[in-house]
Amino acid sequence: MDKFANIGWPDMLLMALIGFLIVFFVLVLMIGVMKAMGYVFTHQRKAKKVAAGGSAEDEDHAISDAEIVAAIAVALKLYKSDLHDRESEVITINRITRAYSPWNSKIHGLTQLPTRKK
Amino acid sequence: MIELLESGSFIIDSLKDFANEAGLVSFFVGQGWKSLVMIGVSLLLLYLAIKKEFEPLLLLPIAFGMLLTNFPGAEMFHPTLFDEGQIDWYDLYKTGGLIDFLYLGVKLGIYPCLIFIGVGAMTDFGPLIANPKSFLLGAAAQLGIFATFLGAYALGFAPNECGSIGIIGGADGPTSIFLTAKLAPDLLGPIAIAAYSYMALVPVIQPPIMRALTTKEERMIKMSQLRQVSKTEKIIFPIVLAIVISLLLPSAAPLIGCLMLGNLMKESGVVDRLSKTVQNELMNIVVILLGVSVGATATASSFLNERTIFILVLGILAFSLGSAGGVLLAKFMNLFAKEGKKINPLIGSAGVSAVPMAARVSQTEGQKACPSNFLLMHAMGPNVAGVVGSAVAAGILLAFLG
Repeated sequence: MDKFANIGWPDMLLMALIGFLIVFFVLVLMIGVMKAMGYVFTHQRKAKKVAAGGSAEDEDHAISDAEIVAAIAVALKLYKSDLHDRESEVITINRITRAYSPWNSKIHGLTQLPTRKK
Repeated sequence: MIELLESGSFIIDSLKDFANEAGLVSFFVGQGWKSLVMIGVSLLLLYLAIKKEFEPLLLLPIAFGMLLTNFPGAEMFHPTLFDEGQIDWYDLYKTGGLIDFLYLGVKLGIYPCLIFIGVGAMTDFGPLIANPKSFLLGAAAQLGIFATFLGAYALGFAPNECGSIGIIGGADGPTSIFLTAKLAPDLLGPIAIAAYSYMALVPVIQPPIMRALTTKEERMIKMSQLRQVSKTEKIIFPIVLAIVISLLLPSAAPLIGCLMLGNLMKESGVVDRLSKTVQNELMNIVVILLGVSVGATATASSFLNERTIFILVLGILAFSLGSAGGVLLAKFMNLFAKEGKKINPLIGSAGVSAVPMAARVSQTEGQKACPSNFLLMHAMGPNVAGVVGSAVAAGILLAFLG
């Protein structure tokens, strides 16, 4: 493209460097904004808690219900996985053909009462 | 008798024409073999999508679009209608095929932005709001973009093409497509395929880099609990971010604006129906249209050349450098952090977007070093910061080279 005909290595290096720095600058700016926002909201919550008669320190240790549930679930999973060996869970029904033998025949086994010979 | 002979010759001529027009013959005429190779490539991608499940949601439509566009004579896509970044509206109306019309969504930058609305509605920025320092890791992971930008120039690509190739390092499919459609539409096929293939390969590419750059002790670092984030903060965040970034970088406004719109829909809680629609129906429809039309740009003439191989190599380099950049910055930040406030460097690699795959890799690697280490939520911070970072980087490249 003609538009880029005069672009050389110095321009490319400068573009890469400036581009990378702008990404950093914009995201660092966002850190500032987010930190300020976090500061305001955390203080607001603490002030509300103190006004309601609670301790501001509690706020720092607050853990959401979802996190407690997740921690318990993980603990249970780890505990249960230690208790049991994992079995193959493969159930097969193999038809086995055997030659007839009176020794394992049910007709000659349990269903018939023995008869006493006189 | 003469009539019979005449009708016989007519049928033979018709059969000859039919045989000549059939795609099968075209494979063996001139450069037709290239189409055959492309069909083979598309079948390979279909195999990877279906059997190996490599990003199947996008790779499958991309591969099928590639298959359709390479049937000789089918004329479903006409790259000439979009030559030199212009759209020939008159010819498009007269001769355009199905995929030509679908491709307008890519060319005009509509599909990536719509996908970003869905991504925003599915993303929880809570971990990033709780730990804003994650933005730094997200920024450092964009190193891959700018290093590859220079690498592509060294290999002889034009500056606008370098920008499109570099953005693969952002590990963000829609952003790569958005930027490439604007800067170097000829490279759309190879770049989209490289971006999505490498995103699927994140669990293969990243772990060796993460292990090579960290010690076992560093990988075992346990991070402190993230603070609670209120609903109000989550609602204000997308509005503030959209305002700040759009004012500083108007060229990034379409991507960031759409991402934040989707997120606001989710966090506000007042438009549940819209939020669910953009997360599911809209997202799915756009993914189909985007995938097929991007795949269709991978014609034999644009794909089968040494530039595609260079793009694939540069793409993996971009990914690797991005991952390394995040890990190295996390290590650097630890030099100044107090004991107990140190960052596990494994979360740095999640700064390349690839949400949530890259964060999952950090979690897995962290647990390998110490089974009681849970890094997932900490890694989600840099991960979503990476999405913002790559959109900002795309905006900068567009401002420089667009």
